[in-house]
Amino acid sequence: MKFTLNWLKEYVDTGDLSPEVLSEHLTMLGLEVDSIAPLFPELQPFKTAKVISVEQHPNADKLKLCEVVVGDESFSIVCGAPNVRKGLVTSIALVGSVMPDGMKIKASKVRGVKSHGMLCSERELGLSESHEGIMELAPDTDHGIFLLEALGMDDILIEVDLTPNRPDCASVIGIAREVAGITRSDLRLPVKSATLEHSNQNFSVDVENSEDSPRYAARLIRNIQIAPSPWWLRKRLLSIGLRPINNVVDITNLVMMEYGQPLHAFDYDKIAGKNILVRHPQQSEKTFTTLDGVERNIDPSMLMICDADGPIAIAGIMGGMNSEVSDNTSSILLESACFDAVSVRRTARKLKLSTEASYRFERGVDPGGCVTAMERAVSLLCEIAGGEAAEGGVDYYGGIRPLNSLKLRISKTSALLGIKLDYDQIADVLQSIGIRCKPKDDDTIWVNPPTFRIDIEREVDLIEEVARLIGYNKIPTSLPTVNLSYPEQDPKRKLRTQLSTLLCDLGFSEAINYSFVTDKHHDMMQLDEEDSRRPVVRLLNPLSEEQSVMRTMLLPGLLENLKRNINFQKNSVKLFEIGKVFTPQADNEQPIEQERLCCILYGLRAGEASLLYNNEEKVDIFDAKGIGELLLETLRLSACGSEDAVYFRTPDENEAEAYTDLSQCLLMDSDQGVVGQLSKLNPEIAKQFGIKRDIFYVDIDIELLCSLTSAVKDFKSLPVFPAVKRDIALLVPASVKAGDLLNTVRRSKEKFIEHCEIFDIYQGKPLNDGIKSVAISVTYRSPTKTLTEKNVSKSHTKIINTLTSKFNGSLREG
Amino acid sequence: MEQELVSLQTKAKEQLAAIENSSQLEEFRIQFLGRKGQFSTIMKNLGRVPKEDKPRMGQMANGARKEIEALYSEKQTALASCGKSPSQSSDAIDLTLPGRRPVIGKLHPVTQIMNEVCSIFEGLGFAVAEGPDVEHDHYNFEALNIPAHHPARDMHDTFYVSDSILLRTHTSPMQARIMETQQPPLRVIAPGKVYRCDSDITHTPMFHQVEGFLVDKNVSFADLKGILTIFTQKMFDKDLELRFRPSFFPFTEPSAEVDIACVICGGKGCRVCKRTGWLEILGAGMIDPEVFKKVGYNPEVYSGFAFGLGIERIAMLKYGIDDIRLYYENDLRFLSQF
Repeated sequence: MKFTLNWLKEYVDTGDLSPEVLSEHLTMLGLEVDSIAPLFPELQPFKTAKVISVEQHPNADKLKLCEVVVGDESFSIVCGAPNVRKGLVTSIALVGSVMPDGMKIKASKVRGVKSHGMLCSERELGLSESHEGIMELAPDTDHGIFLLEALGMDDILIEVDLTPNRPDCASVIGIAREVAGITRSDLRLPVKSATLEHSNQNFSVDVENSEDSPRYAARLIRNIQIAPSPWWLRKRLLSIGLRPINNVVDITNLVMMEYGQPLHAFDYDKIAGKNILVRHPQQSEKTFTTLDGVERNIDPSMLMICDADGPIAIAGIMGGMNSEVSDNTSSILLESACFDAVSVRRTARKLKLSTEASYRFERGVDPGGCVTAMERAVSLLCEIAGGEAAEGGVDYYGGIRPLNSLKLRISKTSALLGIKLDYDQIADVLQSIGIRCKPKDDDTIWVNPPTFRIDIEREVDLIEEVARLIGYNKIPTSLPTVNLSYPEQDPKRKLRTQLSTLLCDLGFSEAINYSFVTDKHHDMMQLDEEDSRRPVVRLLNPLSEEQSVMRTMLLPGLLENLKRNINFQKNSVKLFEIGKVFTPQADNEQPIEQERLCCILYGLRAGEASLLYNNEEKVDIFDAKGIGELLLETLRLSACGSEDAVYFRTPDENEAEAYTDLSQCLLMDSDQGVVGQLSKLNPEIAKQFGIKRDIFYVDIDIELLCSLTSAVKDFKSLPVFPAVKRDIALLVPASVKAGDLLNTVRRSKEKFIEHCEIFDIYQGKPLNDGIKSVAISVTYRSPTKTLTEKNVSKSHTKIINTLTSKFNGSLREG
Repeated sequence: MEQELVSLQTKAKEQLAAIENSSQLEEFRIQFLGRKGQFSTIMKNLGRVPKEDKPRMGQMANGARKEIEALYSEKQTALASCGKSPSQSSDAIDLTLPGRRPVIGKLHPVTQIMNEVCSIFEGLGFAVAEGPDVEHDHYNFEALNIPAHHPARDMHDTFYVSDSILLRTHTSPMQARIMETQQPPLRVIAPGKVYRCDSDITHTPMFHQVEGFLVDKNVSFADLKGILTIFTQKMFDKDLELRFRPSFFPFTEPSAEVDIACVICGGKGCRVCKRTGWLEILGAGMIDPEVFKKVGYNPEVYSGFAFGLGIERIAMLKYGIDDIRLYYENDLRFLSQF
């Protein structure tokens, strides 16, 4: 809602409040002032000039040489306007000023004659469409003063960001009412209140359904002379960014801005049968052309204003071409109505047509104010447009509800706000904005909210009014008195924290991607047509195709992030995301939302760490596996002394994802099902995302992970006897798996084996083809004694024998 | 024996005082303190001392040895420090080289702020609850007193999945979800992602909010002010001035916007606070009786407050981030800054 300070002052005394202080007050009343700025700041440098002589330009028929005075100075200016003449007072853009369209005025030669500035038309100044000639100011206007001052436009524009509950303030008078509460002054209204003498003489009105149109008032005004509005009226509209059109339209707009009541003027002579019908379209009435020239599809849900032949306006939204006021109009039917907010809103939505009128009707207009606003317009039409109002008119008010009377409890008000209040304080603030109060008993006040406050329907609405008017900042600060209780912690939240902390420590940064993605991802990932991640939750109104479906996997988003980072010359990227994926259910059912964790690894293992201490080795599948192992170990789901809840295994053929490199893929399996996988991305898929080098990822189902039981922390005494370490250098066929060798050692029945690990693997010369050397270190220890050479050797020999025989191997010599 | 000990002690002291470099000091150590040194010899001779003198002599010998050892290490330190400064010698370590550091990652700034917000409220005894991103129209709107065709729906540019299913536009649906299944007293915060179809330099179509609410008997607007004052002051680490001003949300009455004194300009007025000196930081209010009625609470018995705040907004203010789109590009040059 925009208005100017001078306009506001027409209705209320703002006392000695500066514009800034006034704005502050309004903001603190819930009418948030969005901006406060001088009106037309771009016109501030312009001045008035008086033409003192006009001569023909020697080299151009259509140009004139003018001498103008601007205060003490005079300038010679070349001007092509037909209306330039001696004695004319107009506006001048002096050399150096910038026109609203951005053009800078320079001293120049026009056809060989010097010109020091430019005389301006209204259109050049952005004040109207008029460009027939330069602006004509009143002849007695001083020259050399600022143009805005001469126009009475040195004013302040204030813009208020209205909340939907305050349609009453979508009007300058509504704002003035709030200001009157601040300054405790009276409102000065052009028309205070009015009633209408009922008469069906010239036309009749039939309202089909009182709920759609609780009130419908109309009057006939004859003898109208359509013309441009006087300056003061145009100025008002211009100041808030409305384009003046003609006196009739301008008056309806002005009154809408004053009173918040949208009005519509029909050309009376174009109304067939002189009968207004407020009804829904019939099935046969399928289109309607609004006065903006657009043919619109209408349907029986919409409320129309019709005459005997059919629709002439869309109720509360826009009039029709067929009944529009034109330059030849001489009689108008002025409509001032109250339409159902939901109905107008639904129609405006359907038509995708929003107007100043629909904005107000959607939020609700004062059903008590229709006739008052109409009378204001009628008096202006008579005054400005030469109109003569026919006696009486129609005022249908079949749908108006009786006035609300509310009970407000002082105790309830005090308790809810946390401030002790009494009757006087409450009545004082409510009455300051026109809400009438009278005491009922010690604790109860009878309150009559005025009709324009359609938002006040309940006691709590009044309590809000009291709080607002007293000032939220006058309410003290306290803390609630509550019983102690221990809020249970969500295990999934805890798990998330644990995982993300660990991953950060391991060098991964957290990514957050949009939950909506393009479904092209599924093709890029080469998902099978039957893949369970293909069906998606699709948005009906996405911003773009790129954000049109809810994601079913996290990896594609991270790959896009990776690509972006590579483009910005990162040679090492470790990212993870914990987020939801969405699996659709039946229509009108919520999808299943499941949390997943995905990590990607790319490029240098050492990351951004200095190459001084690190080599340029790239990450490989064992980095991914290490991350997987550490995650599981941290969560105590594996390698914690007891049975592993999660273990690694290679996928079976039917479990393999199309987007993995099958030679480098491991599943994390559990007795509840597969928890996750870690793998190298299939290079074909990487290419789809524009990445040429190896990418590794770990992908985990958080829901499943969370359901697994962690091993308890179970202390084991520290060993007191020394360990004995023995190495085995084994030659085995290259196909033998390291894990099988280790498991054989671990599961051997020999006592005292504490630990075993592989510390070297070698393949190549001088070994024969197909043979590899594996070096295993075995640690022996007894909890009860120091092991002797004899104890160890016996076990060790047995282990070597088992390994060589089981894996067709031999000890490596030397 | 006693004599011997005293003279050895004196001799050792004299020699030690005369030592000028570390090789002399090493000679001294071997001569006196080493395994075959003079003190060891004396100790070995203790066996020959009469039985009654043994404890005293033993103690004395030990004392003397300890004293010399102490002087020896003093000398050692002195020699080390009066030598050439280590950085001047050619084989010295160049300590201007960078440290050998493991690489660590960072939590997303949104997560960092989210954790901070949640921990403040958890400290006040609030439970944390999370809900679905894809929500029923009922919970997102109807249960919060925003019927279809209410103008307040304009405040929410909603992504729809079907007629009745949408992407939640705020975390407030959790109010209805929790109240529907639990009885007061309630103290809950609900963090999560929310969605609005709006995208420009100050809006992303997805962002994060934290909803909070408290329901009990005798909860007042003054209590709401108290809790939010604690929160903002903890969040912004100072005795920050804040103000409450009337606003409108269909599910609270009275409703308030909470502004803090601009953390960028300190309230003097700047571009960020649009010259007002204030920054809007959260929306709040007393839970509307209609919301209580819909979940079967008696508004004459219970009252409560609710608030909601945007995480990205707080991160922008705290970290000075000026383009909200950066949040979801996951550029490591951005992520590594926080």
